This record gives sequence, C-alpha cells and structure tokens, in this order.
Amino acid sequence: MPYRIIDIELSGPLPAVRLEGEEDGLAVVARWRDELVGFSMQPAARGAAWTSDELRALAEGAFARRVVTRIVAAELAPRAPPPAAPAPSLTIAICTKDRAARLARLLASLDAVRGGSGFADLEVIVVDNAPSDEATRDAVARFDGVRYHREPRAGLDFARNAALSAAHGDLLAFLDDDVVVDRNWLAGLLSAWRRRPDAGGFTGLVLPYRLDTPAQIHFEAKGGFGRGFAPDEFHGARWGNMFHPVSAGILGAGCNMAFDRRLLLDIGGFDEALDTGAPLPGGGDLDIFYRVLRTGRVMAYEPRYAVYHEHRETLPQLRRQYWSWGLGFMAFLQKSRGSDPALRDRQRGMVRWWMLEMTGKMLGALVRRRWRDLRFLAAEFQGGLQGLAGEYERSQARSRRIREQAS
Amino acid sequence: MTAMAVRHVDLAAPDPAVAAADGPVLAVLWWRDLVLGAVPFRAEQLPCPTARVLDLAAPMIADQVIARDPRFGGLPHGGYDGRPEQSVGLYAVLGASDLLGVMEALATRPAPATDGLSVVICTQDRADSLSRCLASLAAQRQAPGEIVVVDNSATGSAAATCRAFPQVRYVHEPRPGLSVARNRGLSEVRRDLVAFTDDDVELHPGWTGALVAAFDAAEVDAVTGVVLPAVLDTPAQNAFEHQLGGFTQHFVPILFDGRFFDETLAAGPQVWRIGAGANMAFRRSVFDRVGGFDERLGAGAAGCSEDSEIWYRILAAGGACLYDPRAVVFHHHRADWGGLRRQVRAYIRGHVAALVVQADRHGHQGNLRRIFLQFPQYFLWVAFEALKTRPPGRFAILWDEMVGWAAGLRYVADRTWRARTPRQAAEAPHG
Repeated sequence: MPYRIIDIELSGPLPAVRLEGEEDGLAVVARWRDELVGFSMQPAARGAAWTSDELRALAEGAFARRVVTRIVAAELAPRAPPPAAPAPSLTIAICTKDRAARLARLLASLDAVRGGSGFADLEVIVVDNAPSDEATRDAVARFDGVRYHREPRAGLDFARNAALSAAHGDLLAFLDDDVVVDRNWLAGLLSAWRRRPDAGGFTGLVLPYRLDTPAQIHFEAKGGFGRGFAPDEFHGARWGNMFHPVSAGILGAGCNMAFDRRLLLDIGGFDEALDTGAPLPGGGDLDIFYRVLRTGRVMAYEPRYAVYHEHRETLPQLRRQYWSWGLGFMAFLQKSRGSDPALRDRQRGMVRWWMLEMTGKMLGALVRRRWRDLRFLAAEFQGGLQGLAGEYERSQARSRRIREQAS
Repeated sequence: MTAMAVRHVDLAAPDPAVAAADGPVLAVLWWRDLVLGAVPFRAEQLPCPTARVLDLAAPMIADQVIARDPRFGGLPHGGYDGRPEQSVGLYAVLGASDLLGVMEALATRPAPATDGLSVVICTQDRADSLSRCLASLAAQRQAPGEIVVVDNSATGSAAATCRAFPQVRYVHEPRPGLSVARNRGLSEVRRDLVAFTDDDVELHPGWTGALVAAFDAAEVDAVTGVVLPAVLDTPAQNAFEHQLGGFTQHFVPILFDGRFFDETLAAGPQVWRIGAGANMAFRRSVFDRVGGFDERLGAGAAGCSEDSEIWYRILAAGGACLYDPRAVVFHHHRADWGGLRRQVRAYIRGHVAALVVQADRHGHQGNLRRIFLQFPQYFLWVAFEALKTRPPGRFAILWDEMVGWAAGLRYVADRTWRARTPRQAAEAPHG
C-alpha cells in the first residue's frame, strides 16, 4: 500500500533502492546541487528493486531536462540586477487548532532551517485557534523563540488576522500545521523576494509528506497541489487565461504563502467569512490572492520555497476536501461578484467555465468507468452548487455572530 | 483584440527586458540570430523585468543546447503531433558547464557558402508585398546562387516590381495555381538546393545561410524553417496567430523521418506539422525521385497543402525532412477578417483534398480516418472549448473550418479528380 519516498541528489552517485514490506510504489524527490528540481511517482511490485544505474535511468527520463534548465538559470542569474533594498524581516505565522503533535513536527523542521537565514530578522508566531485544551501551548513552550497567541474566535481567517495584528516583519509567511518545511524553504523565499522585491506576495511548492494511504496516493497521482518546478508570476491579467485574476486557484495553496505585511493591512486582512472551518472550509486563500492582485501588485510562485504536506488520509476525508474546494471556490466567486463588480464578466465567465469543465470531466469519468474519480468530482460539484446557493452570505452572518459573541 | 505589438529581445545583450505597453505584446526572445521562443504578454503583465525574462529564457536556452549540441545525443525526432522527442542522458548533463558559452558558439557559428542555393518566389498580384520580400532577400548576409520570381498573375503585374531588383530573374506563368507556379520555378532553377518562400513574407538576414547549414546538419531531402508573425495589427491577424495557432509551434530543430512516418501512419501522418510553404527548401534531385508539386492541390486549386503532400511523398519514399528554426521568416497574415475566413475555408478544403491524394497515391487508409474521424472530433473539441472560454470570433472561424471540410468531401466523391493520381510503385518502402 504505501509508497517509498526517496530524496536523491542528481549530481552525485545514486543509491540502490529496494521496496520493503507492503510498499508498492516509489516516489522520487530530485535535487540538483541541493535545489529541488523534480518529483515523480510510479506504482511498482512489492519488493521491487532498482540498482543505482536503474535509478539513474528513471531519473534521466523525468528530470534531466530540468537539471539543464537549472544549470542555465544559475549561469544567467548574475545578469539580473540585485535588489536595491536591503533584505526584509520575516514573520512566520502558523495557525493551528488541536494538532499539537503535527505542530511540534513543523516547529522542529523550522528550527532546523532558522539559522543564517539571510533575512534581516526572523520571528515565529503560533496562533492557537479556539483550542479545546492546552496541548498546543505546551508544545510551543518546548521550542525557543516561538511566540504563542490565542485566538478564541473559531475560524482559520480569524486566526490569520490575529497573526497579522501580532506580526512585526516586513514579510509575513503562513504555514498550515499539516506541513513540514523543506531545508531550503527560507532560502527559497528569500531568493523569490530578491527576484521580485516589489511583489505583494509569494506562493510556494507543495509536495507530499507521505504517500501511505490510497487517498494520499490518489490525490498526489492526480497532481496534488503541484504548481510545478518553474518559477512564475501573476498580475491583474494573464495571457491565455480569460478569467484571471478570478482564476485565483492557479496561484498556489494557502498552506504555503507569504505576503507584504503592510499590503495585507491596507487591504483589510483576510475575509473572516471564508476559511471558517465547517461549514465553509475554503476560499480564504483564493480571496486573498485575488485581492492582492487587484491592488496591482505582483504575486510570484517559487518552487524552491517548498513544503511537504500531510494529504488527507482516508477516502471520505479526501472527498470532503474536494467538496470544500468546490464550495470555497464558488463562495469566493459569489463574494467577488458582490464586492468587485468591475470584473463581473470574468466572474460570470469563470462560473460558466467551471460548470462546463466539471460536467465534461464527470461525463469523461462516467464513460471511462472511473467511479472513484466520479465520486470526487461529484463531491466538488456539489460543493460548488452549495457555494453558488448563497453559502457566503450565510457565512457572513455566522462570522458576524462570532465577532459579537467574542466582544 | 485589436493590436498586439511584436517586439524582439536579445538575451545575449545586456539587461534584456520587456518595457511597459498600452496593449498586449508578443516578445520574441533571441540569442543573437538564434530564435529561442515567443512569449505573449497582456499589458498588465508588463513591464517584465530582466530577472523574469531570464527565468523565461532559461528553459528555452536549455532546449536549444540539448537539441543542438552533439553531446546530448543528437537531434530531436518528430513524434505524435509533430512534437519533438529526445531522451537526455544524465551523464551528459553531469559534465555540463558554461552552457551559455555553448549557446554563444551555437548562435555565432559561421554559415556555409550559399551559392548552391536557388530561391523561388511565386507571386500573384501583390506588388507591394513582393517588393518588401525582395528587399529582404537583397539584404541577406549571403546572397543565394540565383533568385527566380514566378509571376502567376494573368497580366504579369509583378514585372515592374522585379525590374527594381537586378539579381532577380522574372518568369511569367499564366496558368493559375500555386503548384503550377512552383513547378515552373523548379524547371527554371539550376542549383542543387532550391528554397521556396511566399510574397507576403520578410526574410531574416541569415535565412539563406541557415537553410544551407540545415542540409549539412542531417541527411535530409527537405528543410523547413520557422514562420514568425511580422506584425499583429488587426483582429484577423491576431485570430490567426492565437486561435488557429499561426505557424509557429516549436523552436528546436526536429527531424521527421521514417520513424515519424511509421509511428503516425495509422491515423494519418501529420505532415503539415513539418513546416510551411512560406519557408521550405529541397534538394532539387528529390523531385526527380518523387515528382513535382501536385497541381490539383495548393492555392488556386483545392487550396493549400501542396507543400505537406510533397513531404508525405518524401517520407513515404524513405527520405527525411529537417525542421530547423534557425531559418526564420516573418509572415504578414491576412489583415482583413473576410480574407482570413476565406483562407481558413481554403486551408481546410485543401487539407482534406491532400488527405485524399495521400490515401490514393500510397494506399494509406489512415488519411481517410483523419477525414472522417479526427476532423469531426476536432470540431467537437473546439466547440466545447470555445463554449467554455468564448474567445471572440472563434465560432465564426469554426464554421469556416467546417464549411471547408464539407467542401473537401467533394473531392472524396469525385472519381475523375481522384483518378489523376498515379499509384506509387509497389517496391516503395512505405507502401
């Protein structure tokens, strides 16, 4: 059942690999001179083995061209003018709810990369969101240099806004509690800033932390959160994408994003009626990406700014995830239609596109008898319909009540 | 979209960047004379600073080095849909350094002598365009061995234009049809290599040298080059470039040989992916082996595809074609909407006609499969995509494509027309 995940350095001799126990697949995280260049996964027979040469042949097919690109990029880099401004200070914010063990794992991975980061200053804040016990507080106490905040109003965007108020850094990076950072995560974010010091925000690569269950394998095999290994930039419009920036989902994932803190304050922070957890667990990252782009600032995607994400373990959980994406996306679109009428055509076009696209995909799954795919697509579609049917307004009312209760 | 500026950016020059603009920009990226790629920008995506241009160029330069430097294993081969395929060895990569130096050497390689090259331009009542084309031919760094203009107009209207260019030999071919004109050009030239281009094109100054160099690079009977847009000033030009894909697909050299032909035979080899009649060259001897352009095809006859049908015959006879984007021409697309729609109808009609000819000449049923299966599938797919994104004018163009296809079906039914195909000899390797 589980896949073995190996991390290989392509510029040196490759190891031999033999699958053990129940492992029936191999996933490869490939680096060139320590920088991430690629990821691939494939099923295999139990006990399958690869010699060093066989692994090299596998890696060649998948990654050789990317390595050449990376070598060229490194040779070109000195031709870009260095940024005029000095390196910024950084606040890392982790919003968490009742996941002390995972949080500890993330804090440990951060500890490993904090030293000599290149940022002017570094602080780490944990926002404990409506906790049911003190486990998170205790976990944080075991780490040096991590500030603890409590946000009693339940909802991820309430927590993100609390982090925003408490942060001091020029840049504010958010991490979800179900990720672990790559050893070059900080360096990747800094290099993204150096390339675009005027960016409003950054998104990064999300790779799987483990591939142990059918749900995790299915999700990653379908592409996961993959935005790929090439850097990219996003503006208020995008060639080849008629609905941009309404198509905010292409920018990246909320579990690994960073922003110019003052810009976030200027635009009013996160929308507390989105990303509330049940009943509207989504849309918050789409909304913030969209609003940042609407100010005219650029958002940059950087593959070296990478994390490993704990994908949903069980198939029902994964189905719920798809439902929440459909719901979050449509709720965000409904909200934008109300709050940003200037892009009405694109919003309408996006809804229409999504409906046709989902219908086409469901028909395709039906024809090809891919029942699991069909169930996930149906869940996403159902979430979308719910989002279109006024879920955002209902959520706004709920958020208002939460704010009133807290004051 | 009304107008898109075409700008050229040299990555070998200091601080390559794309400046801000009021409207969309097509940035063509170069390393000196070697074209790397073309990146479209909306106005909001500009200015594009140097760091981002370098990021965009890195994979393009990698592709060039991998395709052109022999240590990486040789030229890419054409695969399904004409896509370049090439496996890259990691051992080759491990020793790789100073790839920008390799790129510089590739771009500044001296070109071979070009007096063995003839150039044929077929023209019909387009004096201004022809004049512009001949001026770019006169500006070539290396002059071709001979230049022949075949005037396919009824009245010989190009004669006056040609008098202004003393190196040009003028020939009048009053029998209408591009294939007729091309064959007349073939009969007039003497050099071992013959290149064809069209009167609505401007040539890059290194064009002649690049074509001859391509024949040296591989054992091929035919060479094609890249066709870039000269301007994108009107809605029709933009629709042709962006919705119909224009001419430009790839920026690395691609070898089309027996492997490509055999692998794609079942569904009909996609020979139109090999290149465009606006930028093609041949060893003159190949026409002795496979015959001249089929006069039932091409503009003025069934409409287009007289070029791809020749490549089909060359591949079927065991030959090979090299697409090398080192040879660059800049094409002026039809500026008016009516002209574009007529051209689309003619193009599809000609394409269907060529598929019929190919099926008849070689007995390859895959070509008929393409007419009756692939085309309808393509129409459905285009319609579905257009419903989703509603690009302006796409439905009108789709209608023209379908009308052209229906007109092409006429040739399927026309036995007399089909009977004019001589069957290929039984010993041909791909019969």
